[in-house]
Amino acid sequence: MDIKKKVIKLEDIKKDAEEMQCPVEKSLYLITVFLKGPMCGRCFPCSMGCYEAKIILNNIIAGNSSNEELKNLKRIADEVLISSLCKKGKDTAKFLLEWIDTGDFDKHIEGICPEKVCPEFIEYRIVSDKCTMCGDCLRACKLGAIHGEEKKQFISGYQPFEIRQLKCTKCGDCIKVCPEKAIVLLDVKSGEPVKV
Amino acid sequence: MSKKVNVTIDGKETQVPEGTNLIDAAESVGVHIPNLCYLKGMRGIGACRMCLVEIEGMKAPMIGCTTKVKEGMAVNTKTEQVEEVRKFVIDLILSMHPLDCMTCTKAGVCNLQKYAYDFEIKESNFNRKKFGYPVDEANPFIKRDPDYCVLCGRCVRVCKEQGTNVLEFMGRGVGSKIGTAMDKPLQESECTFCGSCVDVCPVNALLEADRWRKGREWEYTTHNSVCLSCGNGCDITVSELDGSVVKINAGADDGSAEKYICATGRFGFESAMSDARITTPLKRVDGKLQETTWKEALEIVADKIKAAKDNTGIISTGNILNQDAFVLSKFASDVMKTKNVDTTVSLYSDADSLKHSDTVDIDNADAIVLVGLNTSQKDRVLPALDAAVRKRASRGAKLIVINPQESAAGAAATVNIQADEASSLAGLSKALIDAGCKADKDLSSAVSGSTVSEEIAKAAELLKGAQSPVIFCSPSLFNAAQNISLLLKTKVAAVPFEANARGVVTLGLTTEGKTYQEMVSGTMYILYAIGEVPVEKRPRANFLVAQTSYLTDFAKEADVVLPAASYLESKGTITNYLGKNKTVNRIIEPAGDSKQHKDIIIELSKAMGSPIRDLAAKIKGAKEISKPSFSPFEKKKGLDVNASELTDSLNASVLKNSKLVWLKEAKEATV
Repeated sequence: MDIKKKVIKLEDIKKDAEEMQCPVEKSLYLITVFLKGPMCGRCFPCSMGCYEAKIILNNIIAGNSSNEELKNLKRIADEVLISSLCKKGKDTAKFLLEWIDTGDFDKHIEGICPEKVCPEFIEYRIVSDKCTMCGDCLRACKLGAIHGEEKKQFISGYQPFEIRQLKCTKCGDCIKVCPEKAIVLLDVKSGEPVKV
Repeated sequence: MSKKVNVTIDGKETQVPEGTNLIDAAESVGVHIPNLCYLKGMRGIGACRMCLVEIEGMKAPMIGCTTKVKEGMAVNTKTEQVEEVRKFVIDLILSMHPLDCMTCTKAGVCNLQKYAYDFEIKESNFNRKKFGYPVDEANPFIKRDPDYCVLCGRCVRVCKEQGTNVLEFMGRGVGSKIGTAMDKPLQESECTFCGSCVDVCPVNALLEADRWRKGREWEYTTHNSVCLSCGNGCDITVSELDGSVVKINAGADDGSAEKYICATGRFGFESAMSDARITTPLKRVDGKLQETTWKEALEIVADKIKAAKDNTGIISTGNILNQDAFVLSKFASDVMKTKNVDTTVSLYSDADSLKHSDTVDIDNADAIVLVGLNTSQKDRVLPALDAAVRKRASRGAKLIVINPQESAAGAAATVNIQADEASSLAGLSKALIDAGCKADKDLSSAVSGSTVSEEIAKAAELLKGAQSPVIFCSPSLFNAAQNISLLLKTKVAAVPFEANARGVVTLGLTTEGKTYQEMVSGTMYILYAIGEVPVEKRPRANFLVAQTSYLTDFAKEADVVLPAASYLESKGTITNYLGKNKTVNRIIEPAGDSKQHKDIIIELSKAMGSPIRDLAAKIKGAKEISKPSFSPFEKKKGLDVNASELTDSLNASVLKNSKLVWLKEAKEATV
């Protein structure tokens, strides 16, 4: 049987990445897929640099990074652009630089994801004043991150609805089903609501 | 000579041959371009990217290892941009390299350490990575520690180029490692333990297994010398610490195809410092060997020789030094007055073949013919020649192998002629004559009836197109092979199995009386044996003298044993198979009371009352130059030996009394 080996092109990865919103997410996706696929490993700066870049990007997206690390990431991109053996490495570095230049990376270091997609930087909350305890969100949440009791007539002493942050993956399914618009998206750092 | 071009490197103007890469060109004006993966003599791969340099007139920086010089090129090796790249690469490598330079054996010669020092990188700016691969230290020769590996691939390339092909990359990028097929330990692979990988490793990933806490590079004194274990007579660099040898490395110039030594050369030195050495003269009293003094031992021998009328003989190995051989031949003719003096060389070669053999520069050969030499690195039959020939082949030379049996070298050959050597050479001559080479009457009539097979025709075509073809042949085929040099400007070298075979025959250690074989198997009155002569049982001699470094089986049968210095304890020269004179240096003092062969013989001649003098000046490459003339295409008879067995028996004590014994044991254990 003829097994066709799918050759992933860097441009295709870039295209896929562009569909994401946050530049940090884009970069992490690009680097991860690049390392798994087209990276040939024939020169040191690209193979070792991208490996390190992946670690740094993971740190940034998890909110565990620092300005030094961001500087290192920038250095990786700069040096790989100069020294990589082939076009693949140089292109990866170019894309990375393009995204770093948006300034969103610095914001992430400060604790803000400007695109409000990076899970570590945003939080869903139920505004109890607006909540009617209909239970739609409870059924919509696949991970059981929402706790609370549905309202039944003539019975008092409910457990109010709330989202357990540790379980929540920030998928946004609950916000779509809430008829009262009682679920809001907040920026973790500032605590200000975010428009969805 | 190739054309020279003018280049400017960091402001220094120089002329280098066309086709030189930038790293070598810079080295010639004393500028070092940092690199981790480049190996002189091999094609660059541009992996480490440390050798990036800026060339005036070019937009982007270029890598030094693959860029060739051009007329008028101006190169800057230390601009800010490329320095940054170098720092970046070292910084990245340091993030996954153990930072234990304080206990690391390679400290002082580690390239990574050097560059980190040069670039002022105390520790990595990047995240620390550790992969924790297991260390392969299951063999007593080479230890592989992947944690230290910087993935430069030098070991992989050197192993491939010489044809052993054991090491290979596993995986890709960070987290990959160097391993054998199926990631087996070295002894279960095709590894010959030559240690070429150890020589090229820039860090502590590949190391001699027992180097831990045996001093570091700066504590050693290094000496250049020559290994005398087989016919190759390889250059070695010996590191010595406090009067004992710590390690031996290949000593030939970087980039030369001859930069190789086998396991015997690299790991056999232990035997010279082992208990197996004889350190005092021994005499036989009531059937047992007892220690005695030099004075007494020499007197016994002198008296016996004086008393003998005739039927005395001297046998020697072919790996004694030129100085020893010179004194020995004087001793035989002037003092002992015997015509029976012969060496083990006569087992596999006639004197003329070695004397008339051409001086060859293997590094410039572009077509190499191996005739009747079943070289093998695995069985250690002329391993360095095998490696050198394969290296030349990897670097573009054409290799033609003529061997009646299937041979390992044949598999790597461009043309493999598996047929009778003499008739193949005749066929080759015919093909060359047909192709327009001029030949005299004798030669053309001799080959008129030869058949030219498809392979032979191909070989002839390759040889005709070559600039400097070389033929290596077994001595028994030398004259037949020399006919080819009547047709083309081919150099022909007969390859012996002992390091100084060419030297000893040139200095007259060829018999005019009984041959080696006759003396060993016949009845002699006195037999004087020098070196570790391969004799299976005691020769029938009334009085047997053994002058060796080890208590060999032969020495155990002797009446007097005189302790001789080993090759690491002797000083002199040898003439190797390529016709080069090489210097053997005294690296350590002779063990106990042992003395170099020539000193023993001079002492003995004094004891006999007719002292000979050591006229070192007379031993200067007494090469006879002869014009090759036609000789019939025949293989000389009686010179067939099992090269592997002969080499092993000549080195039996070395093999038995060093780590090399492990190889034999491991082989027996698996069978």
